[in-house]
Amino acid sequence: MKELITIKTVRILAVMAACFAFVMGLLMPQLNAQGVDSHIPDLAGIWDGTPRVRPVNGETVPWGENNFPDLNARARAYQEVWEEIMAPKYDCQPASSPAIQYDPYHMQLTQWPDRVLFRYEKDDQLRTVWLDGREPTATDFSLQGFSRGYYEDGSLYVTTTHFVFDIAGFDDYNGIPSSSQKVITERYWSEGEELRLTLTVEDPMFFNGDVSYTTRWLPAGEGYRLAPYDCDPEASRLSVQFFPSKYD
Amino acid sequence: MKIRRILTAMAAAATAGLIMLVLPAFAHHATGPFYDPEKVVDLQGTVTRFVFRNPHAFLFIDAPDASGQNSEWQIELGAPVGLRRIGWTPDTLPVGMEVKLTGRGSRAEGSQGVCCVRMTRADGSPVLEGGAVRERTQD
Repeated sequence: MKELITIKTVRILAVMAACFAFVMGLLMPQLNAQGVDSHIPDLAGIWDGTPRVRPVNGETVPWGENNFPDLNARARAYQEVWEEIMAPKYDCQPASSPAIQYDPYHMQLTQWPDRVLFRYEKDDQLRTVWLDGREPTATDFSLQGFSRGYYEDGSLYVTTTHFVFDIAGFDDYNGIPSSSQKVITERYWSEGEELRLTLTVEDPMFFNGDVSYTTRWLPAGEGYRLAPYDCDPEASRLSVQFFPSKYD
Repeated sequence: MKIRRILTAMAAAATAGLIMLVLPAFAHHATGPFYDPEKVVDLQGTVTRFVFRNPHAFLFIDAPDASGQNSEWQIELGAPVGLRRIGWTPDTLPVGMEVKLTGRGSRAEGSQGVCCVRMTRADGSPVLEGGAVRERTQD
């Protein structure tokens, strides 16, 4: 009898423990590396940034009359030397911020608890935005820099530093370089079916103050998957022969 | 006559939806520094090679040059990542195929490059089966 009561008691306790765990699981706020009070917007998906969604980039897009940077003497000196075929993209060097966000291709955004992943169809690039508060070190310089972010008021905020120097790293249509002092800040949010972005650039090495653009993506078509880009060095350089260089 | 041509082209475009004007809409780079919009080039020639790789597909054809001799021309097309979505494959322009095109000539002296083309088969039909031919827009 004593044994039966003991087994029965154990079973009851086990059921109670399971119910408690279930209820607590429902009540606990969603865990994330940021903390328990933040609201996390749902920004995940495959996003279309092609010409059906926004004007194609060029000499006046996205940097035009209203938001062109106030270049200093150093930047203007680079522009004097610059010509189109110096752009490293003709050797398949990938684009970076602030250009890659505006390139007319698709992009995939994935939200994990401790990071957000941006995968760009153009140049097969992957950016990781850390949400866990980690700080970059001196060895974290790269083409895409080091990104940290947080959620607030329904938006994702991202700050990226530690970019390597890039001769066309601000804008290769206008031959404006970017330095290791470049800082990119981004705010992503959703409006209706759109994913929106306001991006701000500072680079005191080459221009005064900061400049911004705002753009959008629409959801990719049903069933769309990012395609491999696999930039080909030969195909990339084929057009270079058609450019009349001022140095020839 | 011109209106009839435009109406015919619009009807063809409405029935299919495959774009044959291969402006590099996915802009890896601006065409202006490389090709002159005032330099119109008309060619009819034979495909010798089709490079279907990002960032830009390139078509090589043998066609008469300014002196009337056959020589190699290189035609810059759009990004394969976008062309695939409208039905293009590496086999779309096979070696030996005859094509006719109009486009912008390259700027570098002595070079024979063309971009921003309107291209069809030699008989004027679309390159892709069931495709459409779209008239070039004015620059």
